[in-house]
Amino acid sequence: MFSVDVSVSADPIVAIHTTDKRGFTPEEVASRCVDKLMSVSETAHPLIKEQAKAFKRDMEKVVAYYMREAISSDRTTVYNALVDAGQPELADAVRRL
Amino acid sequence: MAITQAMCTSFKTQLLTGTHDFTNGTGDTFKVALFTSSATLDATTTAYSTSNEVTGTGYTAGGNTLTNVTPTSSGTTAFTDFADTTWSTATITARGALIYNSTEADAAVVVLDFGSDKTSTAGDFTIQFPTADASNAIIRIA
Repeated sequence: MFSVDVSVSADPIVAIHTTDKRGFTPEEVASRCVDKLMSVSETAHPLIKEQAKAFKRDMEKVVAYYMREAISSDRTTVYNALVDAGQPELADAVRRL
Repeated sequence: MAITQAMCTSFKTQLLTGTHDFTNGTGDTFKVALFTSSATLDATTTAYSTSNEVTGTGYTAGGNTLTNVTPTSSGTTAFTDFADTTWSTATITARGALIYNSTEADAAVVVLDFGSDKTSTAGDFTIQFPTADASNAIIRIA
């Protein structure tokens, strides 16, 4: 006889993140990104666990940095699209964000 | 009325009949719909319904389409995952969610309980799925 377990725990298994009148910051998104990229086992050797957590913190900083770069670059794209659409004042407002 | 987190029993049956295909790109289309605390969702839920589904700015009935992650295995456990999903610029309150297969007559897969009401106000509402590994992935067969 074989048994297959496909049950889920009663505790919440997804995390819900919400914002109030703003979007997520690069740091908040980077944290979720790194959670998806790597996990640290609670049963790992303490030294390895600490090293892995340190690496994870460094990864968060790198991902957040490149997210800010992407946002800045996208603003440049939006700025030029608005200028091309004859909206220089709106373009300047976007550039100043 | 309550939302009780569970893997839907009908989904377990459908696993044995090969109903669902979680393959990224070529598999079925899975969606996640949000529900208020007035909804009744549990292991007996068999399909998506609009009853007590969330309404509000930035939310469309039926919910968001999920991005599948092709199933894999680690050790003796097989698992699959979905990419996190976000409702942007949304003003909504939800207590739970239902993942369902819109390719297969909206067949229910899993009921999610958020533990409490979660609200976004003119902001983002994101579901972050657990780490995709043999111990934590959203759908695991051990």
